[in-house]
Amino acid sequence: MAERRGSHWQAARAVFWSFFGVRKKSHYEQDAGRLSPAQVIVAGLVAAALLVLILLGIVWLVAG
Amino acid sequence: MAHDATHAHDAIPAHDGHGQPGGIMRWLTTTNHKDIGSLYLWFAGTMFLVAGSFALVIRAELFQPGLQVVHPDFFNQMTTLHGLIMVFGVIMPAWAGFANWQIPLMIGAPDMAFPRMNNWGFWLLPVAGFLLLLGLFMPGGAAAGGWTMYPPLFVQGGISYDLTIFAIHILGASSIMGSINIITTVLNMRAPGMTLMKMPLFVWTWLITAYLLIATVPVLAGAVTMLLTDRHFDTHFFNPAGGGDPVMFQHIFWFFGHPEVYILILPAFGVVSQIIPTFARKPLFGYASMVYATASIAILSFIVWAHHMFTVGMPAAAQLFFMYSTMLIAVPTGVKVFNWVATMWKGSMTFETPMLFAIAFVCLFTIGGFSGLVCAMTPVDIQIHDTYYVVAHFHYVLVSGALFAIIAGVYYWLPKWTGHMYDEKLGKLHFWLSVISMNVTFFPMHFLGLAGMPRRYADYALQFAEFNMIASIGAFIFGFSQLIFLAVIIKAIRGGRKASDQVWEGAQGLEWTVPSPAPYHTFETAPVVK
Repeated sequence: MAERRGSHWQAARAVFWSFFGVRKKSHYEQDAGRLSPAQVIVAGLVAAALLVLILLGIVWLVAG
Repeated sequence: MAHDATHAHDAIPAHDGHGQPGGIMRWLTTTNHKDIGSLYLWFAGTMFLVAGSFALVIRAELFQPGLQVVHPDFFNQMTTLHGLIMVFGVIMPAWAGFANWQIPLMIGAPDMAFPRMNNWGFWLLPVAGFLLLLGLFMPGGAAAGGWTMYPPLFVQGGISYDLTIFAIHILGASSIMGSINIITTVLNMRAPGMTLMKMPLFVWTWLITAYLLIATVPVLAGAVTMLLTDRHFDTHFFNPAGGGDPVMFQHIFWFFGHPEVYILILPAFGVVSQIIPTFARKPLFGYASMVYATASIAILSFIVWAHHMFTVGMPAAAQLFFMYSTMLIAVPTGVKVFNWVATMWKGSMTFETPMLFAIAFVCLFTIGGFSGLVCAMTPVDIQIHDTYYVVAHFHYVLVSGALFAIIAGVYYWLPKWTGHMYDEKLGKLHFWLSVISMNVTFFPMHFLGLAGMPRRYADYALQFAEFNMIASIGAFIFGFSQLIFLAVIIKAIRGGRKASDQVWEGAQGLEWTVPSPAPYHTFETAPVVK
């Protein structure tokens, strides 16, 4: 790939949309060209941890 | 996805004879992915008949209130063995069979990465199956504490409980070997040009499933090892008298158990995602989002486990957390259902048997998903926990979900495996009998559960009689309908109309570029994928 490597921010955005389950085709093609599998996996694990924290925050708001 | 594959081995006969043993030794010593795939599928089919007949014992006893057919303790052995064998001896080995047959064919690899380990992984299975069934002939009968193996029952039981624990260890070892093999094969042996995002969806779902297995099966092994040491070596992990806690077992078990649900269903998503585009004659709608959704479901599966145990007691904050996280799974699952429907939308659809089972999968799995959302709500689940509502829910997910996808996959790839088209008339008869009787069996269980009928009892109160009678009639029709499936498979193996290489008009992918039946060795020269 001649394109430059994607940033962490791009990986985070790709993972955010993947949690939702959809992605614009042009953005997906950019992701596929620029992001490495390792970047996506790390971003996925960080996002999963964030999701847990957000859920805990909501629980704290509701039941705290 | 259009593949342009080169394959220069159409002329290779089914057995190119380089000194393999014949007869039984061929199967004992084989390292060929197709042979091992067939062994897995035949093992799963045999155990399906065994565990299915156990289900018919259960339904015969429940045909009427009162105790008529079997002793209640034997009834409990049947529920336990039915669950354990269906999960570990039928659905999981069937998916391993599909993986062995199809993954090398779909990614253009000559075989699996570790063929000898592949052989070992399979041959552990009959040993484990034997240990599970051996319990029936031991003093006290087979394990009767439920497939979830909860203490204290599983700490107190007789020798068959030890056999069950050993069987689980062996099954786990087999699963881990299979997973390592699949991951290594997929990551290292794809044909030139087949990037990860060009892989068929079945390969993607199995790759993610294999990671789930490696992450969770050792947890199950730990849990049952702790049961074993509690039983024989004076530990007290799960014994409150010694400072332990039986609820800890439930947490550990379900940390395995919930991802296990996705281990059973993700390959089903993969198979259905292969079949629907073929018979709708359109590419899969939203391929990338299907991959994303599969990965999201896998991640979410690790943070929902305690929804199986809302009633054992946990802080309100934990109940809320697990309720919210569980409901979130509806989002990626909804994306998948939407994509399947969108793939069919305005497609040139035909309704051969694999497509019929795939469409039934989409409709009925969605019902199972919705009843899962009902169970996800803590206050509702506290009412329906351990009732027939839960039995209805997970049978919609595992029978009309996982099992229907397995059946659909067999019909879809059987012409590639055997070289003959199956009998379409018998296939359709099998479909209609299965889909109607499946609903007759399991739909009334929602009503039984909502009315308060508890699961895992050999007897019940009079007001549940009608729906139980209906469910039992449906179960017997469903059970005997599966003999048609067996007949269709045997008929296709023995002969029939010759299948073309592509088999189905709309089929896309590397497996359809090799002859039917697929030669004993394929893709010795890697194809090129554009």
